[in-house]
Amino acid sequence: MIKNIFLNMLEGLTGFASGLAVGCGFVALLTVLGIIPRLVQLSKSAHLIKSYTGAVIAGTLFGTFLSFSDITWNQPNGTLLLWGTFHGIFNGMLAAALTEVLNVFPILSKRLRIDQYLKSLLMAFVFGKVAGSLFQWLIFVQK
Amino acid sequence: MSSIVYLRLKKHVHLRPMQQIRLADIAYISTMAPNKMKLAETNLYQITKQDKQAVVLDSFQIIEQIHAQFPDLEIQLVGPTYTIVNVEKKKHKHSILLASFVWILLFIGTAMTIMNFHYDVSMLEVQQKLHFLFTGRQSDHPLWIQIPYSFGLGIGMLLFFNHWFKKRFNEEPSPLEIELFQYQQSMDEYMSYHENALHDKKHLP
Repeated sequence: MIKNIFLNMLEGLTGFASGLAVGCGFVALLTVLGIIPRLVQLSKSAHLIKSYTGAVIAGTLFGTFLSFSDITWNQPNGTLLLWGTFHGIFNGMLAAALTEVLNVFPILSKRLRIDQYLKSLLMAFVFGKVAGSLFQWLIFVQK
Repeated sequence: MSSIVYLRLKKHVHLRPMQQIRLADIAYISTMAPNKMKLAETNLYQITKQDKQAVVLDSFQIIEQIHAQFPDLEIQLVGPTYTIVNVEKKKHKHSILLASFVWILLFIGTAMTIMNFHYDVSMLEVQQKLHFLFTGRQSDHPLWIQIPYSFGLGIGMLLFFNHWFKKRFNEEPSPLEIELFQYQQSMDEYMSYHENALHDKKHLP
């Protein structure tokens, strides 16, 4: 009995500590990538930043719930469509922010002296991502 | 006799379209010169229809204009060397729709990112294995780890963002606010260069 309580406490502590580490790391990544400032600037809503923080935390907790539970809902395909679209936009922003933080484009264009083609380079990046994603889901994983 | 005028430019001002920009609009003025009031009312620039969202007034332009009208004043600049004038068409109304869109985007985006992370690192398997190690029993849903984990996740994020709704944990700004501030600063620096009439647009880096 006492051993059981102790083990449960130990498990709880392990879970709590790993959650703390993952939570900090996760938001640190989001912050470094600067997605939220960019969204705030696009939507001109700096006064809502606390609400957006709430969205990030609520979203993460919801995702955690979905990861560890096996409940099912009877949602129509439309929900999936919306969900996928939002996920895609967010993932696109993540990918773009990552390239931006790593200075891929400035370095590439300076090295190859193609500064004036920066915009078309960006487009290549966008089209490449879209084509790659479509290829993966429509062809690659279908085999 | 020349007297000294100390000028501290305001970094950001919000003005209406078609407005005359007076010196007092964009700068704090400190001087012993007798015509301070007249100086403050000096017209520096007329916002025109061609000006889009922002006009950058460089300190050099400002000094030249003042010198033209008050040749006997010596101007000392304190602080920023340019002012960014934001031209506001009308009082900006906040779009609840756009904000909701951003909110849902962040919500779903982070939910999916954390789910992908959990599957990527096989967290469920690790937790099941850990539960077996600790207790010697198999469990598909080791809730004793998962529930504290979820709380830890939320608390860790709150600690990082440094606030819980209205309440702050301490006086420091949160990393997010710093990130926002830096973003604004980089934009200002870019504007001060690229929207500046004194810079030749052909020789951009």
